[in-house]
Amino acid sequence: MTTPTVTPYRSPLPPARDGFPQLLRAEWIKLRTVRRWSLALLATVLVTVAVSVLSAFSGGSDVKGDRPPPPVGPAGAIVSDSFPFVHQKLTGDGSITARVSLLGGREGRPAEAWAKAGVVIKESTKPGSSYAAAMVTPGHGVRLQSDFTRDTAGGAVSRDRPHWLRLTRSGDEFTAYESADGSTWTKVGTTRLAGLPDTAQAGLFVATPGETMVQRQFGSTSVGGRPARVTAAFDRVTVDGGGGTWRQDVVGAVVGANGDPKGTPDSSTEKSGTWTLTGSGDVAPHTPEVDITQQSLSGAQIGLIPLVALSVLFITAEYRRGMILTTLTASPRRGRVLAAKAVVLAGVAFVAGLVAALLSFLVSEPELRDRMPNPLFYPDMALTDGPVLRAVVGTALLLAAVAVLALAVGALLRNTAAAVTLVVVVLVLPLVLLSGLPIGAAHWVMRLTPLAGFAVQRTLPEYEHVDTVCLPEEGCYPQGPWSGISMLCAWALVLLGLAMWRLRRRDA
Amino acid sequence: MQATIEVQELRKQFGQTVAVDGLSFTVRPGQVTGFVGPNGAGKSTTMRMLLGLDAPDSGQALIGGRRYATLRRPLTEVGALLDAAAVHPSRRGRDHLLWLAHSHGFPSTRVDELLERVGLASAGRRRAGSYSLGMRQRLGIAAALLGDPPVLLLDEPVNGLDPEGIRWIRGFLRGLAREGRAVLVSSHLMSELEDSADHLVVVGRGRLIADTSVAELLASASGDRVALRTSARTEAMGLLAREGATVAADGPRSLTVSGLPTERIVALLTAGEVPFSEIGAHRATLEEAYMELTRDAAEFRTVEAHTDTETDTANETEEARS
Repeated sequence: MTTPTVTPYRSPLPPARDGFPQLLRAEWIKLRTVRRWSLALLATVLVTVAVSVLSAFSGGSDVKGDRPPPPVGPAGAIVSDSFPFVHQKLTGDGSITARVSLLGGREGRPAEAWAKAGVVIKESTKPGSSYAAAMVTPGHGVRLQSDFTRDTAGGAVSRDRPHWLRLTRSGDEFTAYESADGSTWTKVGTTRLAGLPDTAQAGLFVATPGETMVQRQFGSTSVGGRPARVTAAFDRVTVDGGGGTWRQDVVGAVVGANGDPKGTPDSSTEKSGTWTLTGSGDVAPHTPEVDITQQSLSGAQIGLIPLVALSVLFITAEYRRGMILTTLTASPRRGRVLAAKAVVLAGVAFVAGLVAALLSFLVSEPELRDRMPNPLFYPDMALTDGPVLRAVVGTALLLAAVAVLALAVGALLRNTAAAVTLVVVVLVLPLVLLSGLPIGAAHWVMRLTPLAGFAVQRTLPEYEHVDTVCLPEEGCYPQGPWSGISMLCAWALVLLGLAMWRLRRRDA
Repeated sequence: MQATIEVQELRKQFGQTVAVDGLSFTVRPGQVTGFVGPNGAGKSTTMRMLLGLDAPDSGQALIGGRRYATLRRPLTEVGALLDAAAVHPSRRGRDHLLWLAHSHGFPSTRVDELLERVGLASAGRRRAGSYSLGMRQRLGIAAALLGDPPVLLLDEPVNGLDPEGIRWIRGFLRGLAREGRAVLVSSHLMSELEDSADHLVVVGRGRLIADTSVAELLASASGDRVALRTSARTEAMGLLAREGATVAADGPRSLTVSGLPTERIVALLTAGEVPFSEIGAHRATLEEAYMELTRDAAEFRTVEAHTDTETDTANETEEARS
């Protein structure tokens, strides 16, 4: 055998670089050079906007509500503020003390868990004006609440024994105390009301949230509600530093055409030093039944389908054509290949999602609000409002995470149809099926599956001192927006890690 | 880095099938090495293991002394063409090279340079799906050459090329080897490698059958055989066999004789009054040499299954003939 002596070849080209940035660039070129894939991205935007706009312009009711404009709280948010108010003038510092001796509901039944009876110092009788109140509740013990949204828990109360409450004012500071016997007092908490005028109204109040009845059957849910009623008796009422004369008012009474209060049983009576108040309105932040911002972004649920197809194809097409061999010879460090694909996909999905969410919100939100029976009861949200911004950017994040998830599933299954079907079924089907599950099971599905990511589109604030019925079919998620999107991101990252591990271990 | 490909005791099994069974060979720079064997002989699997796509069960597949997975900037070390059809049909040919080039930080001008070099300059802007198999082979070769590597691995690059393309690629491969590159070209047809390979690695059923230069193989295959044309085939065969020659009938009027020099045959036939028209040294083609090699390998394998004695006899016969 002859082996001629040869000089091995040396390339005259400048040295190459094969770092992660080069890999990202390569994957980006792959993505943008298949025209159908660019179209899929465009479809993601268009479908999202189209579905949002269609549902905005087709939904709603033609029946316009006749409710007068709702009161607005000190923070500018819509509030409920309607209760019987027995009050007298309180100038400067002072305190009000009372013993609540009875707290019950309609016709001898127990009151709602968040029914309230207690003492309050309020700016005026104008609905929505600033206040601080110490109260007893049937379900949640003693509370100190102020300006609708702030709430501090005190001790527990026994249902059958009267309970003493005291609220003192010292400048802007309001302190609540409670006592079982009127001699040993325990501090509940302190709250500040900035800018409360020197002269305010101190008095007694009762309030209750409405009764809610929910009936769920597969495919249909009916939510009924009616005003609840609460009656409480107060005795040993004293006001230190008060004006002396009691006035009886109903704050926020619904006034009929002839000027009489209509429909509300709110009343107050006094008999030998014992005041009995009956109320059916609430003092609480107003929570709209429908999250309009979330609805305006609902198109993303369908818009993600072309994105899922693109993300799956981004890897399965390489297997189908055998191109994965070229990819892996160009970059033998396989984990990095999948990482680069994930970064590129997440990036384009985020941009597409942001554009889609912005357009959907701007076009659909005003229309959705207009079509509500009582539009004034829905806050007029702007893009710059924190929750809206979170929902819009969150929707972009949601699509980015879905893209990574779909890529990972595609890499694991190596089959386009199977991977697309699986991801779409996991993300879209539960939206239909959840109404058929018992509410507890539905909540666990929403908490633990990738579906949780949609929680990021919720914008309604949650208050601990307001009970809401959280129905999956109404788009309510049992967890907060950030914990929801975190769960989806965790799914995407874990599956991507699994796919990387498999890719490294298996023959190509 | 030494521009070599080394395969040492390489073994790979897929389920019950042993695809590569203790294969060892070395590919040197400066020549085109043909990697030959029937379909399913383990050529592609060996190449995939060289490129780090499949993990060997045992043994080593090294490029310049290193495993592929440990190479930095692999495109500048090894150029590979595995499957010419492995391009996305919707992507333009130029874009296919473009992503590959950018994965190693090469400028776009490098892509245009290569399109020119493989004769795809005008087709580069067309979708790869519209390419003929021959055009895809050229695109694959351009991809292999992007990093200007000293080692090239090409799996069946001649497949699907028209005669003009076959001529082109032969010259192209020889030119690459002349520059000092190690070029390994696989094929299941020996004839495809005629005029381009300098060295041959022949495999069958995952095992090495021959590792030889083309010149040596041809010499050994031709042996000292004599080709003879005669109208009296039976008489000629009888006469020559009695004198100790091995005679094989190639056709109704042609014989191949071994074991006797040409002068002696002429003398014998003339003395025996057997007519003949042509006589001369037999020149084997590469294809024939290959057939002989693989036939022997096949016999060897079947005999091996029975007894060792027969194997010895077979080997002796082979020795006697050569």
